[in-house]
Amino acid sequence: MGSLNDQRKVWGAGSEHGSDPVAQTRAVVRRYPGVLALDHVDFEMHAGEVRALLGKNGAGKSTLIRLLSGVEKPDEGTVAIGGTVLTGGGSREASRLGVATVYQELSLVPQLSVAENYHLGALPVGRGGLVRTGWMKDSAEAALAKLGVRVDPNAPVGALPVAEQQMVEIARALQGSPKLLILDEPTSSLAAAEVDVVLQAVNRIAAAGVGIIYVSHRLGEIRQIAHSASVMRDGRLVETVSTSGASSDDIVALMLGTAADATVSMSHQSPAPATSRPVALAVRGLSVPPKVREVSFDLHEGEILGIAGVRGAGRTELLRAIAGLLPPAAGTLTLFGEQLRRWSIRGMIRRGVGLTPEERKTDGIVPLLGVDENIVLADRSTVRRGPLLSSRLQRGAARKLVSALSIRTPDVTVPVGALSGGNQQKAVIARWLHRGSRVLLLDEPTRGVDVQAKAQIYELVRKLADDGVSILFVSSELEELPLVCSRVVVLREGAITAELTGDNITESAIFAATLADGTGSAAPSTTGESV
Amino acid sequence: MSSTVQTAPAPTEVQQQVRRMRLSRGVNELGLLAAIVVLYLVLGTQAGGFLTGSNQLGILRDAAQIGIAAWGMTLVIIAGDIDISIGPAVAFGSVMVAKAATDWGLGIPLAVVLTLVIGTAIGAFAGFLRAQYNVPAFIATLGVYSALRGLAQFISNALPVPLPESRFFDFLAGEVAGVPTPAVVMIVLLAVFLVIALKTPYGRAVYALGGNARAAELAGIPVKRIRISLFAVNGLLAAITGVLLAARLGSGNGGSAMGLEFDVIAAVVIGGTALAGGSGSILATALGVIFITLIGNGLVLMGVNQFLQDVVRGVIIVLAVLINVLLGRRRRLTS
Repeated sequence: MGSLNDQRKVWGAGSEHGSDPVAQTRAVVRRYPGVLALDHVDFEMHAGEVRALLGKNGAGKSTLIRLLSGVEKPDEGTVAIGGTVLTGGGSREASRLGVATVYQELSLVPQLSVAENYHLGALPVGRGGLVRTGWMKDSAEAALAKLGVRVDPNAPVGALPVAEQQMVEIARALQGSPKLLILDEPTSSLAAAEVDVVLQAVNRIAAAGVGIIYVSHRLGEIRQIAHSASVMRDGRLVETVSTSGASSDDIVALMLGTAADATVSMSHQSPAPATSRPVALAVRGLSVPPKVREVSFDLHEGEILGIAGVRGAGRTELLRAIAGLLPPAAGTLTLFGEQLRRWSIRGMIRRGVGLTPEERKTDGIVPLLGVDENIVLADRSTVRRGPLLSSRLQRGAARKLVSALSIRTPDVTVPVGALSGGNQQKAVIARWLHRGSRVLLLDEPTRGVDVQAKAQIYELVRKLADDGVSILFVSSELEELPLVCSRVVVLREGAITAELTGDNITESAIFAATLADGTGSAAPSTTGESV
Repeated sequence: MSSTVQTAPAPTEVQQQVRRMRLSRGVNELGLLAAIVVLYLVLGTQAGGFLTGSNQLGILRDAAQIGIAAWGMTLVIIAGDIDISIGPAVAFGSVMVAKAATDWGLGIPLAVVLTLVIGTAIGAFAGFLRAQYNVPAFIATLGVYSALRGLAQFISNALPVPLPESRFFDFLAGEVAGVPTPAVVMIVLLAVFLVIALKTPYGRAVYALGGNARAAELAGIPVKRIRISLFAVNGLLAAITGVLLAARLGSGNGGSAMGLEFDVIAAVVIGGTALAGGSGSILATALGVIFITLIGNGLVLMGVNQFLQDVVRGVIIVLAVLINVLLGRRRRLTS
């Protein structure tokens, strides 16, 4: 890391020549229906600076990024790039002024070569209208080399490790020589070992005088590359702190605010620990390289076990492996006393396990089919007369669940795709209730769901647990885990690094445990054998 | 949909969207019905002999050739796949039954059974390639297309293989209560497939996996098995069509049923079944079958040059599908 320090000096020298800030917002306000997403935010940063942007989900980070990159206009206040105020000309105007944004989801064409991806949308054309392949490759290779990555420009992008794909994406963003580069969680999909590649590149880019906004949940890496961190909470920019001056606890406290623990204790009338009850599902040594590493835990009957962790920590993979969708490399399950070494999705469903996927639209619902058919999809045995399905029984079964879960639909035969996100989610949960599943794996069940539907889903989950259903509850929304869970395990980089029970389930405790410190010493490795 | 639910009234935009979706679905079928009525009016006045009883029975007989395979094809397309091997599969079936009943000396019952079993197996093979190895259905059935046409010509030496005299084949070529036997088979199968598509767990699973295969898999639906079975059923239906065709012609013919897959797929798509999968209706396919058959019959009666007939059919079918796509674009869920 010696070279990194040298580059920081270059950065320091650059920033002293202070001219106009590369990015500046003055008292920007942005409202969405029912939400004040940004509340008079003043933000400023200079050339060559690496600024971390921190905050919980919904704190306003994404909105701020959208304003800086011109995708959205502020309702009040101004956004200026390099001293020029944006006039509402969209992302085009912002990019002309020198803003480049790399979003979490890569926008590469996996089958095309590195060089073609680098030039995507503007292939270099020579005489006769033919692509200048030689020059195209050389320039792509050179651009990546400048970032410290050596990649064969002929290789199809899809064949590269994710970190290098990320670098191709970043290199592409740098083509217009931006003044401000916004990186939205560039390392969230990377394994720990790959992160360095990205960090090195960020340092090089900053050394060249580009201002970088770096959004990440990994405090460890933020310390390595950012000098300062702007912390957002509830739409406000709370404070900008020096990363060397503030401890992780300070930063976590800033992100959560003082009110956090109060709300938690208020809500913490959560069910008595269910750990005395029989074990419904025991997971031992489950590994799905590279995302899940030797995960072991017990889920008790009637227990709601929360699984916390930042995006990319392996939560989804863990659930999919348990459900039989991802073949694990190692590990066993014991389900209601039956030990399993290999299991399939259909076998698990038969044994009473149901997964509601994170991606509701692509994995959960069949949008064109009615609410009733979506609900009975996993078990049609109870809605038949002889070999034929009975629409009447089907509607009846669906109606029962529609009213039990208060799914808002004009009629149970309405195509489920026409309903709101929250109601779609409830329909997917209803599918497993109809099936009589005893173990539910809920992957981000409240994602993209409005506040009221969220509250209903919490209530539903608690009620199911009271009825003896065992529930794994995965969530990125930290504040909801204390609300619903009687126990929480924290996944970090694919392994369980902490377990919280009873009064220890607080937003700040979960939050601190989910943020990787990079030092590897922070959180004790608990669990394994569960309480 | 008279049934309503006792839950709180939902937002009106949901209701509007639902109404729009149902409306445009109905519009498609009504439009097709109107087109058929128009065809009857035009051909009834312009094409001599169109309205005669014998021509109408002939239309039914022709419709059976397309329709039987079209029922299975509808399910295949609802599942998001395609089967382009129908024509050669029918020709192969006709040669197979004739050869087995004569040269191979298996006797008529066994010959028919063997033909149906092999047709089913070949379909299942294509489905296996699709389901197990993700070979695109178009390619898997393109291979079957070429292989079966070649095999049919090879076995028959590219000559018609006469069927033996038999009351059974006479029955297949004849009529039941005045209706051509193939048409009766088609109508019976139509009823069977309507029930399958609308009323059986299997049929609804086909809609589910065509609409969202990942969700279907997560719900425990045996996606692979269903995919294989769909192609197997299509193979069976093509073999049945082949036996009926052989009975009608009195011989198995390796060069027969040229371009039949075109008519079958066109009938399904004109019926409004989306090639993207997830939606479609057997009843609408039936309208599509009538539409295609009427056009073919009318062009012959009006004495249009045989080659130009193909041109006209091609244009009409593309137009019909274009209208469908434009309607479908409006129909698509945006939420």
